[in-house]
Amino acid sequence: MNRTDYPRFAVVGHPNKGKSSIVASLAMDDAIAISDTPGTTTRKARYPLKVDGKTLYELIDTPGFQRARQVLAWLREHETDASRRHEVVRKFVNTHKDDARFHDEIELLEPIMQGAGIIYVVDGSKPYGEEYEAEMEILRWTGQPSMALINRIEEEDYTEDWKRALGGYFQMIRTYDPMHATLSQHLKILESMAQLREEWTPQVKASIALFERYHAMMRERSAAAIAKLLYRALSHVERLTLKEGEAVEDAKKRIASRYKQRLRSFEVETQKRIEYIWNHQHLKKQQEQIRLEGLDLFSKESASVFGLTRKELLVTGASSGAVTGAGIDLAFAGHTFFAGGIIGAVVGGVGAYMAFNELADIQVLGRKIGRRTLQMGPMQNRNFPYILLGRILFHTTKVAQLSHAVRQSVNFEMDERFRERWLTDARRKQLEKYHKQFRQAKRPDEKMLAEYEALILEIIDTLLGEA
Amino acid sequence: MQLKRYLDLYTLLQQDRSSREERRAFGLSEAVRGKDAAEQLCAWAEAHRTSLSRPLLSEQVEGVLYHATLIFGIAAFLLGIVTATGLLSYSGKEPVNLVYFLAVAVLLPLVTMVFAVIAMFRANRARNFLVHISPAYWMTRIIGFFDRKGSLKFNTIPLNPLILNWIIIRRSQLLALLFAIGMLLALLGVVATRDIAFAWSTTLQIDAAQFHAFIEALAFPWRGWLPSAVPSLALVEQSHYFRLGGKLSETMVSHAAMLGAWWKFLAMATFVYAILLRFGMYLLAGWGLSRAIRRSMPALDGADVLLRDMNEPLITTHPDEKSVSSDMSQERLYTRMDAKMAPSYDTVVGWAIPEETLVSLCDTFSVTAAACREAGGNRTLEEDSHTLETLRGTVLLFVKAWEPPTMDFADFLKAVSQRVSKVVVVPVGTPKEGYVADARHKAVWERKLALLDYPNVWMLR
Repeated sequence: MNRTDYPRFAVVGHPNKGKSSIVASLAMDDAIAISDTPGTTTRKARYPLKVDGKTLYELIDTPGFQRARQVLAWLREHETDASRRHEVVRKFVNTHKDDARFHDEIELLEPIMQGAGIIYVVDGSKPYGEEYEAEMEILRWTGQPSMALINRIEEEDYTEDWKRALGGYFQMIRTYDPMHATLSQHLKILESMAQLREEWTPQVKASIALFERYHAMMRERSAAAIAKLLYRALSHVERLTLKEGEAVEDAKKRIASRYKQRLRSFEVETQKRIEYIWNHQHLKKQQEQIRLEGLDLFSKESASVFGLTRKELLVTGASSGAVTGAGIDLAFAGHTFFAGGIIGAVVGGVGAYMAFNELADIQVLGRKIGRRTLQMGPMQNRNFPYILLGRILFHTTKVAQLSHAVRQSVNFEMDERFRERWLTDARRKQLEKYHKQFRQAKRPDEKMLAEYEALILEIIDTLLGEA
Repeated sequence: MQLKRYLDLYTLLQQDRSSREERRAFGLSEAVRGKDAAEQLCAWAEAHRTSLSRPLLSEQVEGVLYHATLIFGIAAFLLGIVTATGLLSYSGKEPVNLVYFLAVAVLLPLVTMVFAVIAMFRANRARNFLVHISPAYWMTRIIGFFDRKGSLKFNTIPLNPLILNWIIIRRSQLLALLFAIGMLLALLGVVATRDIAFAWSTTLQIDAAQFHAFIEALAFPWRGWLPSAVPSLALVEQSHYFRLGGKLSETMVSHAAMLGAWWKFLAMATFVYAILLRFGMYLLAGWGLSRAIRRSMPALDGADVLLRDMNEPLITTHPDEKSVSSDMSQERLYTRMDAKMAPSYDTVVGWAIPEETLVSLCDTFSVTAAACREAGGNRTLEEDSHTLETLRGTVLLFVKAWEPPTMDFADFLKAVSQRVSKVVVVPVGTPKEGYVADARHKAVWERKLALLDYPNVWMLR
């Protein structure tokens, strides 16, 4: 029997009680096959938590018990001494290794007899039944440290009945909902796993710290991707050389379409990147989600959900203009009687108000050398960055909080109150400083981009409750 | 840091398909440990250079820049010769006014160097006026214009404005340096082949002593070790020339041979101010360009992700092997379905259902039976065998709909189906559900029975 230098935990139980869901959630792997059809898992699968190739612990997803009473009957038949029951189980595994009848039992007992801790999963939304006793008895015979996880798959609650029944067989009993578990709930389960055996504690505790770091890394990477999206989208300039004899108006339509398409592709690319960062590469999105991607960024509907109202734009533009004007006042040591600030506020406010609907100017370039080129961008619409930022933050929050056990299509329907969760007046002013820079298509220095990224990270932390 | 490295990195990042594992492995290797971001990126690019396909973008760009610089450099050199020859043109009627020469050989370089220094400080601005007025800027524009239909598409190369500005600043210094070398060579050539009388003339009210002081100050860098290249006060006095009257003073004519002595000063002034200082500026611009490339590397598209992948611990939770699962979800229609329960059966069996619950179930579904039996659950296999022995005729088999059928159940069902004429499997819900099974759970049972396909087994629809 193989022994390893890291803790291993076999997730076992009756068929179809959410073992794979629990493994998917704890391993943050959305590729694990999960289905409501029993027998989906036919072989054990190992999910090691590795840091730079070094395994800290391993979760083992196993098939469910199929002939538990027959196994228990065999064990009882071969029992010699109560203190040597684990040897009888080992003998059973060795004897029936190639016996198709006990394939699933061998798959689940083998890792346990190789030293894995037991995580026994039951459905707390269904009543306890006596048929579970054989399984629990077999697991007790293995002599391995064990923990029961009550997973409430549906609404009804039989948790207390289960706790009473499980109490006689397992060292500890915990409840865990893999579909809605937060990071802290995930870490609490790891804490419990750390307590199963003393020598496992340091490594599992190290894994807890690592998961926290992992989560922080995912938030940081998301912030970097979002900052890049905003910079790319706002500073993007689309150029189109006119075909010979092509009317400027036709070309303008063509360039406007290409410009919008490019902005949308930036958004979709970033959404995919966010899904990749959070290990949701197999995410299925419901029809609404597809509509979200295809939703016109420039529609009034989007603006009302994610962007700023005209009044908010006016205030944002005015305060941004006032800051610029105040700089002029400062340069003249106040001899301008603060006219700079006032004029700046008025110009900024009016500019922002007027730029509510326009996207970007289309300019005709290069007439002099006989070639005409149309140029569209950078983005002039003052509302656009807030629409785009709102959408991608919503997407990020949703993906970050989505369980890796979810296999059905996810509805990414937008919540009108979402904006209130992240866009305060103070934040708007902070963001506008950077958006203004991006809109001018000037390449901001690395320090400025880093500051913007830090601001986005702060927003993500707030949204995910990490701040 | 060379432009070539930057462009190679750019190309590699565009085509890179390496996995996070590979990137992290490289990040942990000795090649990058303890190095800053730019050095790490360079090391990575160096290690992956072999995957670059030829012709390399970097070689193409450098080739174009080299040839353009060569052409413009030769032009600048020739312009320097022409300019100096023009400034030194001497008909014999009037001496050459060395103030003109000083203006081009000293003042112009100093002014343009000041501009260059300002441009260096403002190099990170995309719209840099001082850069845009440089001949080197127009050189890049002209390259771009002529290359529009070429394979390189110079204008489409996403060079960071910071780098582009420094390229232009550095190329400007080189062109100015070649111009100055042309001037110096022309000066030496003209001096060697013709006799020239130098004089100084200005509208400004400057006397010989003041002009000498100015000359002394200009000659500061070499007056200690090359005094012969520093004009004396007497020479300055004798070289003072006024065009008014159109005649040369007698003293000047009598000292004509002495007036030629200015050439050493002019040569040294050109060498020190137009060449030596410019060379210093060229080196400085080279350092600035190298720094700009170093600073711009992490800003390349994809470089930030690469750096994170190399430097952040790689945490994975995925299996080494793909998990094996069977697709049991296909719809299998079970054909032996009873629309409703018969009023009576020979035996009612409850799989893992206690006898008292069985009685309730019979009441609920208004079913009567000669006997009610329990099977499965925590009963032993022997007890199930005894139950089996009692079965005959038609059997109603209640099962918990929410508990999926195990092979333990399948074994029992098989044995039952072999003993009786008909067995009807009825999945039931929990007491809280009024024993009405959820459709999803019933579907699971239906699929399993279809899969087992035992004879005499029916299921209640």
